[in-house]
Amino acid sequence: MTTNTEVVPIGQSTAAPRSPFPSPRARRVERTVGITAAVGTALTVWLGLWITPPDTTKGNTVPGDLVRLVYIHPGVAWVALYLAFGLAAASSVLYLWPRTRSLFWDRLAAAAVEVGVVFNVCTLISGSIWGRPTWGVWWAWDARLTSTAVLLVLFLGYLALRRVPAEPEVRAKRCAFVALFASVDIPIVHFSVLWWNTLHQGATVLNPNLSPTIHGSMAWTLLLGFVALTLVFAWMLLVRYRIGVMEDWLGSGEMDVALTERRAEGVGDPGAPDRAAGGRAPRPVAPSPSPAPPDARTDGPAPTAAGGPTDGGVGAVPEAAR
Amino acid sequence: MNYVVAGYTIVLSILFLYAVQLVWRRRRLTRAVERVRAASAPDRADRSPGRP
Repeated sequence: MTTNTEVVPIGQSTAAPRSPFPSPRARRVERTVGITAAVGTALTVWLGLWITPPDTTKGNTVPGDLVRLVYIHPGVAWVALYLAFGLAAASSVLYLWPRTRSLFWDRLAAAAVEVGVVFNVCTLISGSIWGRPTWGVWWAWDARLTSTAVLLVLFLGYLALRRVPAEPEVRAKRCAFVALFASVDIPIVHFSVLWWNTLHQGATVLNPNLSPTIHGSMAWTLLLGFVALTLVFAWMLLVRYRIGVMEDWLGSGEMDVALTERRAEGVGDPGAPDRAAGGRAPRPVAPSPSPAPPDARTDGPAPTAAGGPTDGGVGAVPEAAR
Repeated sequence: MNYVVAGYTIVLSILFLYAVQLVWRRRRLTRAVERVRAASAPDRADRSPGRP
C-alpha cells in the first residue's frame, strides 16, 4: 500500500504514477522556491519603481520613468521564450528519443507550455504598454512583436491539442512534434531584431558582444528581476507538473470506471450506489505493459458473485471462475 | 509613470491570478485523489488478508 509521501521516480514511464502526491522533500522545495520567488518579485518591484533612477540619457525624447519597465518586461520575455518554451522543446526531444521516452517528459513539456503561455501574454502586454508612449502605437506589425505573437498562437495550439481525447502515448507523441515545430519560432524571435529592421530595440543584455549596455543599480535590479521571475516560473512549473500527475492518475481510468459502474448497476452490485455517491471508484488496471500502482489501481472491490465486471481490473478473477 | 504602473500592475496581476488558479486546481485535484483512495481503502481491507 502506498502512502501520501511516496516519491514518483523521474523517468517513470507509466501512464499514471504510483502516487500523485509529492514527497515531503518536494513539498519543502516547492515552498522554499515559492517564498523566495515572492520575496524576489516584491524586491524587484520596490527597487524598480522607487529606488532606481529614471533614464536621463541626453537626447532621450521619451519620459525617463518608462525605463522602469525594463525590470519586468525582459524578465517575463526571458521566462516565456527561453525557459518555458525551450524546456518544452527539450522535453519533447527527450520524449521522442526512444532511450529516454517517458511520460514524465510529456507532463513536463505540458506544464512548461502552459506556464510559458501565461508569461508570453505578459510579455506582449507589457511590451504593448511600453510601446504606446515610445512608438505612439499599442501594436505594430514589427518582426519581433509579430514573431512573439505567432509563438503564442502556436503554443495555444499545443494546449488545444492536449485536450483532444487520445491515449496518453499518442497524445504525448503528437504534442511533442507540435512543440518542436513551434519551437522553430524561438530563434526567429531572438534574432528578429538583427535580421530585420524593427521598431523593437536590439538586445541589451544578450547582445552579440555579450556586454550589457546598462550598468549600476539598474543592472542589478534587472538581474534581480530575471532571477525572481525565473523562480516564479520554477514554482509554477512544479505546481503545474503536480496537477498534471494528479489529472493523469484520476483521468486515465475515468471511462473504465464509468462503464464498470453502469455494468455493476445492471447486475445489481450493492456496492455501485455507494461508489457513485462517493465519487470515482478506484481505477481499474488497463491492459497495458506499464506497471500498475499497487493500491487504488489494482485493489478494487471484490468481484460479484455473478462473475460480472468489477473494478478489480485485469487481475480480478470472477468468484465463479475460481 | 502611469504606463509604468499599469505595466507592473497588469503583469503582476496576471501572474498572481494564474498562481491562485494553480493552487486552487491542485487543491481540488488533491481532494479528488483522496476521495478515490478513501473509497478504495475498504475494498483493499476486504481483500488483503486471507483472500486468494
